[in-house]
Amino acid sequence: MSTKVKNIVQVALCALLIFGLSLTCWFKPAETFSQSENKVLAQFPELTLESLANGQFMSGFESYTQDQFPLRDEFIGIKNFTSLNVLQQMDTNDIYLEDGYLAALVYPLSEKSLDRVSDHFAHLYKNIFSKGEGNVYLSVIPDKGYFLAEKNGYLSIDYQKMIDLLKEKNPDFKYIDITGLLSIDDYYFTDTHWRQDKIVDVAQKLASEMGVELSGDFKTNVLDKKFDGVYLRQLNLPLKGDTITYLTADHFDGCTVTRYNYDSKTNKIVPTVMGMYDDKKAESYDPYEMFLSGAQELITIDNPNATTDKELVIFRDSFGSSISPLLTEAYSRITIVDLRYIKSTSVAPICKMLGIELENADALFLYSTLILNNASFI
Amino acid sequence: MLFSSIPFLYYFLPCVVILYLLAPKPAKNSVLLLASLVFYAWGEKKLVVLMIAAILLSYIFGLLIEKYKDRKNLSRLFLILSVVTSLAMLFYYKYTDFFIYNFNAITGLSVPLLKIALPIGISFYTFQCLSYTVDVYRGDVPAQKNFIALATYVALFPQLIAGPIVRYSDVALQLNERTHSFEKVSYGIRRFVIGLSKKILIADALGELCDIFKSSGDKSVLFFWLYAIAFTLHIYFDFSGYSDMAIGLGKMFGFDFLENFNYPYISKSATEFWRRWHMSLGSWFRDYIYIPLGGNRVSKLGHIRNIFIVWFATGFWHGAAWNFIIWGLYFGVILVVEKFWLMKYLKKSKVWSHIYLLFTVVISFVIFNAADMAEAFRYIGGMFGIGGYSLVSAESVYYLRSYGFLFILGFIGSTPLLKNLTAKIREKSLTAEKILNVAEPIVMVVLLVVVTAFPVYGSFSPFLYFRF
Repeated sequence: MSTKVKNIVQVALCALLIFGLSLTCWFKPAETFSQSENKVLAQFPELTLESLANGQFMSGFESYTQDQFPLRDEFIGIKNFTSLNVLQQMDTNDIYLEDGYLAALVYPLSEKSLDRVSDHFAHLYKNIFSKGEGNVYLSVIPDKGYFLAEKNGYLSIDYQKMIDLLKEKNPDFKYIDITGLLSIDDYYFTDTHWRQDKIVDVAQKLASEMGVELSGDFKTNVLDKKFDGVYLRQLNLPLKGDTITYLTADHFDGCTVTRYNYDSKTNKIVPTVMGMYDDKKAESYDPYEMFLSGAQELITIDNPNATTDKELVIFRDSFGSSISPLLTEAYSRITIVDLRYIKSTSVAPICKMLGIELENADALFLYSTLILNNASFI
Repeated sequence: MLFSSIPFLYYFLPCVVILYLLAPKPAKNSVLLLASLVFYAWGEKKLVVLMIAAILLSYIFGLLIEKYKDRKNLSRLFLILSVVTSLAMLFYYKYTDFFIYNFNAITGLSVPLLKIALPIGISFYTFQCLSYTVDVYRGDVPAQKNFIALATYVALFPQLIAGPIVRYSDVALQLNERTHSFEKVSYGIRRFVIGLSKKILIADALGELCDIFKSSGDKSVLFFWLYAIAFTLHIYFDFSGYSDMAIGLGKMFGFDFLENFNYPYISKSATEFWRRWHMSLGSWFRDYIYIPLGGNRVSKLGHIRNIFIVWFATGFWHGAAWNFIIWGLYFGVILVVEKFWLMKYLKKSKVWSHIYLLFTVVISFVIFNAADMAEAFRYIGGMFGIGGYSLVSAESVYYLRSYGFLFILGFIGSTPLLKNLTAKIREKSLTAEKILNVAEPIVMVVLLVVVTAFPVYGSFSPFLYFRF
């Protein structure tokens, strides 16, 4: 190709790209929500003299153009691919790829966060469980970094120090160590969470430490839908997604699962009976939400065929959604509380109002290191 | 508006190009001026009026200086008025709080700070206005009769907010008559895309590392050095990337701006470094301060005085803070030492002189980027183990691994290696040249796609030189 032709081709190609994307920017209808990022997308800002004068229009427009850019997810994939594979960075936006697993950097250890969590735990213990006859347990779920980070040269917190600090800050809780039962194979490749089919031994250990036994008889089911985990959705890298395998048991049929949600219109808490697994959410962009319908502030699971008449309250994050069903065999009632959506100070009054007895139940505080080290949510 | 932002790349620039192409020749400057005002107002809103006022004053003083060129006293009076009003504007907006702060510190008084926001690019457009009226006074160029042409020169958006400081004499003819060609546009696109890539792929990433270092609680000697080297590369790729984009955009609209950087990190002395770094600023100070003061054609003491005046001004131009003044004077001292003693030794060894220069520059940029002098001393001390820091830390090792390839890219990109290599390949074989001609448009499109992806992701950061 002669230099003259090259100049023409270069101008034509670059102009085509810029003007093509520019025209698409101008005429593409605005989307409202990004499922891959789980966020509301910026809309065209209000154009007024005031918004122009104070700069709100300009900053709003910049956000709008970023959020509404054509092929946004693909461009995000290109950015992350470039950072990891071309620029050879160890992580992109604190997420790294090692041994086929996408994992988040958990660093540095935040003692402030552990204090905050422990304050909430202490409040619940003092106001509810110290008054009853049940025992209180604490268990920490290691994130994938526990298995991947240090040995592969990624920044890593001192997990043992975190556990020791938590034990020290929560002296009334009996600690159950589950780290020895887990390995990286027990987690999804592209998601934060552990795989339900791989944690039956963990459920058995927890149950055993809490004085009940689980048979561990479950039927294995495979969800007929590809599961792109949260890290893959964020990075949009060219990786194979995961498959969700979920467990069912005969006693599930006799269980009544009720979720309690606050309805802002009626200002009331509304109970809804649902299944152990949510078929609709299994079809959504985040099929992990199928376990106990994902993020819910308060759930009860009543099992009239339980092997004991004991009750258990689980304070949990999203990891708890997949393990809680496995514990139902041994408990006549399991109450599941997510402190991200219900204040620790509101737990007792709300449960009292709903007629859910907590005082004499055993309590299990089951949290992942991801949440414990970043407890701004609670 | 940032060159590396989506609003610029995919809204502003395509509209301006279309309007420019559609406009008849006499209206092309008006299109560029209007676009430049919108570009400036996008970030500075009402302060666009200040820039217009500065241009208007330069326009009027330029005409008056020329009109009374035969009456030297009157002509000089208008030049002085022009210089005073331009500098007064710059001093008011940039330096008032600095003087109040130091006045309070010396007297113990507490005169309230005015907290005046620094208008973007004021240091650049003030210097362009000054060079115009001085050049008219000197008779180097005729006064511009067309206000739109002069306003286009000062406000031209490619170089408005971060340079290069274009001299009126360099573009005076092009304001009235300039040529457009595929060759120029193609070159302009190449320079723009390369500049954008330098900014987004290297400068921003290394800037991130600097931010990580500053907020790290796990500092070590290795981390201090990583920071210092990362910032040295960051500022070069940020600023020279911007200059590349400015030159590239200028070419697309038919202007030929002079180069602003010439691989400064391959220099073997600070003297050479400043002939290669921010060349438009260096030549401005040389032509409008150093030489009028007598340059080196005075006594030895007078020469040293002139050097220190220029380097004090260079430092102060960069910012109203002591670390910038110290940074300027630091180079003043080094240049004096080189001129009167060191240069003869530097010429003896290419390797040692290069190590000396890089060390000098790295230290200088630690001072430059410090929040204050206490931080500068702390960081420089940290580089040499002062302060009880360990030699390495977990974070420093991690970030060395994570940014190692970017450092290598930065080192290579700071030299003319790639440029020389492609030039040699082109010279050697016609086939190789044809292959390069095929590859170049493909590489440009790929780079353009990649550098679009970064701001879409939302990780872009403002250009460093905006604050000057």
